[in-house]
Amino acid sequence: MRIGIFSVAHHHVDAYVGNLRAIPGVELVGIADDDQERGKPYAERFQARFYPSYGALLAEGLDGVLVCSENLYHSTLVEMAARAGVHVMSEKPLATSLADARAMVDACDKAGVILMTAFPMRFSAPMIEIKALLEGGALGQVYTCNTTNQGQMPRHHREWFVDKRLAGGGAVMDHTVHLADVLRWYLDSEVIEVYAQTNHILHADTVEVETGGLIMLTFANGTFATIDCSWSRPFYYPTWGGLAMQLVGERGVVYVDGFCQNLTTYGHPEQHTAWSYWGSDMNQAMVEEFVAAILEVRPPAVTGYDGYKAVEIALAVYASAESEQPVALPLTVS
Amino acid sequence: MRVGIVGVGSMGSIHAAGWAETPAKIAGFLHRTEAGARPLADQYGGQVYADLDALLADVDVVDICTPTHLHHEMVLKAAEAGRHVICEKPIARTVEQGQEMIAACKAAGVRLLVAHVVRSFPEYALAKAAVDRGEIGQPAVIRLARESSGPRKAVNNWFLDLVKSGGVILDLMIHDFDYARWVAGEVQTVYAKSIWNTQATAESPADPVRDHGLAILTHRNGALSHVAGSWALPPPEFHTRFEIAGTEGLIQYDSESTKPIHLYFHKEEAEEAPAVPRPSSPLSESPYTTEIKAFYEALVHDAPVPVSAEDGLAALQIALAALESARTGVAVHLEPLPEVPS
Repeated sequence: MRIGIFSVAHHHVDAYVGNLRAIPGVELVGIADDDQERGKPYAERFQARFYPSYGALLAEGLDGVLVCSENLYHSTLVEMAARAGVHVMSEKPLATSLADARAMVDACDKAGVILMTAFPMRFSAPMIEIKALLEGGALGQVYTCNTTNQGQMPRHHREWFVDKRLAGGGAVMDHTVHLADVLRWYLDSEVIEVYAQTNHILHADTVEVETGGLIMLTFANGTFATIDCSWSRPFYYPTWGGLAMQLVGERGVVYVDGFCQNLTTYGHPEQHTAWSYWGSDMNQAMVEEFVAAILEVRPPAVTGYDGYKAVEIALAVYASAESEQPVALPLTVS
Repeated sequence: MRVGIVGVGSMGSIHAAGWAETPAKIAGFLHRTEAGARPLADQYGGQVYADLDALLADVDVVDICTPTHLHHEMVLKAAEAGRHVICEKPIARTVEQGQEMIAACKAAGVRLLVAHVVRSFPEYALAKAAVDRGEIGQPAVIRLARESSGPRKAVNNWFLDLVKSGGVILDLMIHDFDYARWVAGEVQTVYAKSIWNTQATAESPADPVRDHGLAILTHRNGALSHVAGSWALPPPEFHTRFEIAGTEGLIQYDSESTKPIHLYFHKEEAEEAPAVPRPSSPLSESPYTTEIKAFYEALVHDAPVPVSAEDGLAALQIALAALESARTGVAVHLEPLPEVPS
């Protein structure tokens, strides 16, 4: 199977290159980026073939492509792949506008290609265990969830992460979609109302986008859930951040932390406490699912529509933070 | 100084233990029934009073540890009798009641001290002091959680009567509403939901003993607070957590990860859990005793109090706004409370 990578704007490409190469029968055909200055050295570093245009890589004949551009350009690149009949996995958030997200889903449907959204939490072993527990009825009806996806302000990874136009926003756009998706998956219900408050106190001097956010989602089944999407971990925090949930249901309370399987290291060289993750590799499982869905000619476990619904929730967060009152979903595509 | 304690439930008995550590004399106890007050009178000395008037006639200070809906009437009586008052949180069931109580105590020239004990817990006091020293810069996002099993009482379980107690939002979350305001200043908007509120229907009222509430607050200075309060854990659990993320750092606390002792005994049969669980970490002095000692110092030596009656009123205003938001589904904007005239 021939897979390509579109754009190295997102640092997750670092992982995906290794993930693809670890799958028997998968060939990483090459990495394309219209920014040669960043794409060429990157491809060289990973000993991958570089293509200075996306069209040139498509012309090599691909089965699938991973779209890892700035969020704003996901739609252009996904639609380009769809027109070429190539299956796509797109980084999250799927798009920066609902219209773009809708167009991506429609284009892939029309072309008959897979559109998968890169939501790695769906492939996290602890998160999957809780999904099974919920399906087995161990918790009974889920009444409410208190969830967090906090992180460091990500500018040190890529400058565009804090650019409103390219990223679609700040902490809200970056972090809301993961938990919005996990909650939809766990509850098997859609969000009907969003309330949110955001602020801009952390890193106020260095970035223009929002850095703090607290969100309340209400689902059609009556469950309510909060999400903390804040960039509230300092740069010297032992790791990048984390994602954790508390679920309160008919039969009790459960907690799940997607990122606590760590070693703690107190190192002389850095004079700093570090957490090293030893849990299972969710990115590997996610990329394998993309490949398996192509091979088995079936929809992936997490789809473009899932990406669309998560974007819709993130956009409703901005609308609610603006009006300071709850916003009803679904939103209409303008 | 002679102290009379009204109410002999979980707070009445723990306050008695606190007063026993001060030079104050416990004059006695009042309860709905004489038999109910007898065990504490036997343990700490003092008499069992027949009614509130008899107690007030015999004390300098009255410590009101009764159900929330009774605070208003009892505090007014105490003020009328010219007695200083310690009042359990929440100060009252409505803001108007609280304002009237503060005004009455001011007019009578007596102190009204509200028992927001969380301010006396060392982990909470230490974090507040660190924020005040500027150690983490300006607070931006605060998360507070207080989670236990629901209060159980064989008879008269007023906690589960929403009209009397206000449920988990008013009775439990008020601790963290007060703390959020203490750390990040006045609250501007409140949005909240609770299980009881979302699940109860006319045909099938939800069970408030398993309630769980979540609230999002904005502060006037722009900070955000997330407050979680739960009666949904199985007994005897009582977990507290907080974090304060600021421009210059992050403070975190978790009762579960700071437990100095873990006991794993084989049990023949399940042990009885306390009816109203309380947070506890081994300390040389209980935070409840620390609180009572501070009240003693305030009354006898005019020392500053850890929490003013107005603070208690402001916390009540936030909690009532949370109840209103949970009921109506909209965010509630708080107006600054007028100063209570003396």
